[in-house]
Amino acid sequence: MSPLEALALLFLLGTGVLVVTLRNAIHAALALILNFLILAGLYVALDARFLGFIQIIVYAGAIVVLFLFVIMLLFAAQGEVGFDPLVRSKPLAALLALGVAGVLLSGLWGLRLAFTQDLKGGLPQALGPLLYGDWLFVLLAVGFLLMAATVVAVALVEPGKASRTQEAEKREEVVR
Amino acid sequence: MSYLLTSAFLFALGVYGVLTRRTAILVFLSIELMLNAANLSLVGFARAYGLDGQVAALMVIAIAAAEVAVGLGLIVAIFRHRESTAVDDLSELRG
Repeated sequence: MSPLEALALLFLLGTGVLVVTLRNAIHAALALILNFLILAGLYVALDARFLGFIQIIVYAGAIVVLFLFVIMLLFAAQGEVGFDPLVRSKPLAALLALGVAGVLLSGLWGLRLAFTQDLKGGLPQALGPLLYGDWLFVLLAVGFLLMAATVVAVALVEPGKASRTQEAEKREEVVR
Repeated sequence: MSYLLTSAFLFALGVYGVLTRRTAILVFLSIELMLNAANLSLVGFARAYGLDGQVAALMVIAIAAAEVAVGLGLIVAIFRHRESTAVDDLSELRG
């Protein structure tokens, strides 16, 4: 492992820590963007170039910006709100997270992997035949899921619903 | 191999965030962190097992986009109803 790779992995974990500890939600979202950009660089280093650019465009460019939009829409930048039902639970949570890390590391323990596959740089030319071959039905299912999610998101925040019930109540009062 | 170890620790960081954060939006940010840790391990394993791992990571990104759309829609709808996004205020099933 080259020193540059080690530095990138260190930065990845560092920005991850920032995401879960920063008090201001906007700062946390910006740290997440930084995390995703570093991750995209790692993907390019791991012979996954197409995925790296998709990571920048879709994740850093669309998803996190959507997060920032909602944070600013709801004035939800203040992270420490509401009451704390379980006082001083952070050490417990850290212990549990370390346990999860232990379980995952035990899965990797003793694994003898040979990183010798020819990935053809992870370019779209290499991913395309797989995407439209073995993974065709998965691709169609994911497309259907995206469509359903779009419909649900629009239906959830439909502005007419609340006002319609209020109008119905008003009409009932008038009738009465 | 160091990539896989890093992905395990990144996932644990996401778990810590989900457990300690009090705002629904910040819980969502931590979930995104966990999804990306899984993606990193998929891409890491792809170097040992072939390109299928990268295609799976692509699917994970698409599903994450759908999840974010629905989740943020839910948060906006709840905020309109309750004027709050703190998860501890939403501990009862009544509307």
